[in-house]
Amino acid sequence: MVTFLRKLRSAIPFLVIFGAFVWAAASIASRRVVETSPDVITIRIAHWQLEAGVREAFTVMAEEYRKIHPNVRVLQDVIPEGTYPQWASTQLIGGTAPDAIEVWMGLTNAIWVSYLNRYFERLTPLVSKPNPYNRGTDIEHVPFRQTYLDGMRGSYVEQMQEYMLIPLAQTAVRIFYNRELLKKLTGLDAPPTEYRAFLKVCEQIAAARDASGSHYTPIAASSYNFGMWDDSMFNVPSYGAVRKADFNRDGYVGNDEMFVAFQSGRLNLHFPNFVTRFKMMSEVSAYFPHGYIGLNRDDALFLFAQQKSVFMTTGTWDALSLQAQTEGQFSVGVMDFPIPSRDDPEYGPTIDGPRYERPSTAFSFGVTRFSKHPEVMIDFLQFCASRENNQKLNALIGWIPAIEGAKIDPFLTGFKPRLNGVYPSMEMILGGETNVTWSQLFSAYQVGQITFDEFARQWEAKYKVDGRKDFDEQQRDWRRGILNDEQFLAGVRATALMASGPEADARWVKYRALTAGRQVGPEIGHAIQLKLVNDGPDPNAPGPYEYSKEVLAKIKARLTSDRAN
Amino acid sequence: MNRTGRILLIILVTATAGCGGEKASSDPATALTSGWGNYRVGEYSGAIKDFEIALSQGDAAQKRQALYALATTWNLRRPDEDPAKARGLYQQLIKGQKDDLSAWSLLALARMDHLVPIGQVPDFAQVRRAYQAVIDEYPGHPAAQEAFVFQQSTWVATLKTDDAKSCLQSLQKFLVDHPESRYRSSVYGLMAACYRTLKQPDERLQSEIMALETREVDVSNPNLDSSSNYWLIATTAEFDAGDFAIARTYYRKLIAEYPVDARVYAATQALKRMDDTEMQLREAKG
Repeated sequence: MVTFLRKLRSAIPFLVIFGAFVWAAASIASRRVVETSPDVITIRIAHWQLEAGVREAFTVMAEEYRKIHPNVRVLQDVIPEGTYPQWASTQLIGGTAPDAIEVWMGLTNAIWVSYLNRYFERLTPLVSKPNPYNRGTDIEHVPFRQTYLDGMRGSYVEQMQEYMLIPLAQTAVRIFYNRELLKKLTGLDAPPTEYRAFLKVCEQIAAARDASGSHYTPIAASSYNFGMWDDSMFNVPSYGAVRKADFNRDGYVGNDEMFVAFQSGRLNLHFPNFVTRFKMMSEVSAYFPHGYIGLNRDDALFLFAQQKSVFMTTGTWDALSLQAQTEGQFSVGVMDFPIPSRDDPEYGPTIDGPRYERPSTAFSFGVTRFSKHPEVMIDFLQFCASRENNQKLNALIGWIPAIEGAKIDPFLTGFKPRLNGVYPSMEMILGGETNVTWSQLFSAYQVGQITFDEFARQWEAKYKVDGRKDFDEQQRDWRRGILNDEQFLAGVRATALMASGPEADARWVKYRALTAGRQVGPEIGHAIQLKLVNDGPDPNAPGPYEYSKEVLAKIKARLTSDRAN
Repeated sequence: MNRTGRILLIILVTATAGCGGEKASSDPATALTSGWGNYRVGEYSGAIKDFEIALSQGDAAQKRQALYALATTWNLRRPDEDPAKARGLYQQLIKGQKDDLSAWSLLALARMDHLVPIGQVPDFAQVRRAYQAVIDEYPGHPAAQEAFVFQQSTWVATLKTDDAKSCLQSLQKFLVDHPESRYRSSVYGLMAACYRTLKQPDERLQSEIMALETREVDVSNPNLDSSSNYWLIATTAEFDAGDFAIARTYYRKLIAEYPVDARVYAATQALKRMDDTEMQLREAKG
């Protein structure tokens, strides 16, 4: 007996491990027990959207879909943002992922692309066909991708040359405001749309006292919200740098072009359009909470919800949640960012126009290769992406539809993208060194540790040295990219070599277009860029968007010739 | 835990460890397709296994395809590339017979000379000779035309006026000799770059327009649109060639065909700017 007990005790660890293994194996094997009849198809869709309305909206869509397809059940796996990347990775690598997964959260773009490549279905074949759920409408015969406001660019994965996703919404950022508090503190029924008037209103709010005698903070903000203010408002006047530094005339100022412009003296931080950015930042952030850099999203939301602030910026993803949280206490309005007008006494000359927003789709789902019913999953997603249903889905969530012609909820009319305007053009970061230096100096300026002049002095000194180091590393990265592209193009060429008939033609067209765009053209562009960095721009040449005397003479000559004819 | 228990535990763990790895296919045609699929997702060991099956079991044509696939994989896989092995395999294909695969193999050898490891500088004389070998061995073949484009680009990229002049002659001759070539757009693009070096804006403008008009359209790629071409032509016409008629045409095309492009506002401003400039010039003339 004693011997038996001794042997049993020595076997306990083995028995525990074996028992745990059996339990784990049984759990995994029984994970997808079908609770309904074998005729029912169950599809699962996973996302991280815990905001108000999303789960409910999908539930409604699932019920609507079931009216047409009574044997299909749609279930949601809702995973919190914080654990979503780990969850998605383990599910995909482990081969237990649901039928569809929302992508792009938490992992780098490169990792998501590798997952898409290995674990997701290619959707390219269906995007050129109409969405069957648009039958009976004016877009009945329009290819699926052309029904999207962005032409379905949000679905296309450049590195794979394939459409991989079905996006279901658009996103945008605006300023929300407390209507009742605005009225109470300023007498205004609507917020000002112009910069100076906005600052005046903030001043009025800051001077007011609540019932306990405390000041109001005009704008609820944190480190999370700051980026939205900067991208959508402060940095917009920097567009003027295009006229000075867009040497390759592609309409944008690359970080290498900015470096050349600084190196050659064509630009510095005292360029009026840049000064406008930093002055606006100081003026507006004076109405943020003290120490806003150290606050997070929830801190700002708390201030706003507690009616300590009138304004707060966030995106469409928070719109319905905000409305729900403040229901019964106050009503929420939406306004655009109040950029200075061209008549502004100080900033007018640096304002080139209203701000531009590129329409971008989000809430994008890919269909996994583990799906036992990929055609059903795709069908449900197309159902949600039809004009009528996309409108309904987004109305329920409080977001903006992604499909042309789908109406926006009246509350969100203010979120319609601004398609005509100018955009930030102040990209200083070339790589690691410049990133660290810029971040440090920018933060010091933000909290008032250094003046703008000191910021400019320190940055310009370091930029010339750090920028060159980063640029040289960028060239090595560029060369690595060429090798990666060669690898990629070999795969494209192989599919062309193995294909036949019209498919082969299409694949050869793709191959040649990519070769020209990725291997031939860039070598020339790179050589021009390197020369520009090493030698600087021609000191005698006018700016990229200025007429030289010779060109003016040609224009005159053409006018004369036209008149004569 | 006693010895028996430990041994049993080790057996249990290793038996259920799940060594997935890349699975190799069994018949040569499937193996080739599967191999390229593995290649595209970066599973190079699996790709090589598949290609070796095709090499050992395939018919003559499949063996050549497998050789080419193996050469490409050993050439371009990262890490664990084996350029010497890749070159040997390409040479086998070139010596074997003259066909598509031998043409693309000869081009691959030239590309290996051109795309040297980071930190090294290509021997451009050798690179140009290697491209010339493809052009001479396979005149008219797409691989030879591609070789020509790459070869000329090495001259264009020097940004020297003598090289640009010499290149222009070669490029213009190519267009005469290959009026239907699918590489015309690339050739016109190189000509535009030459004219840029030579500071001949009118000729540059015409070359950019021809590069656009002869460009093959990959309708499946939404990112390869013409908006940037329209913008480039319009701004070259306005600021370099002083040709407002062409500038207006292409600004208007950008506005009409790409209404959500970020540059539409600037294009609208450009139309107004040109009107104002012409008015000022007319008034100045009296």
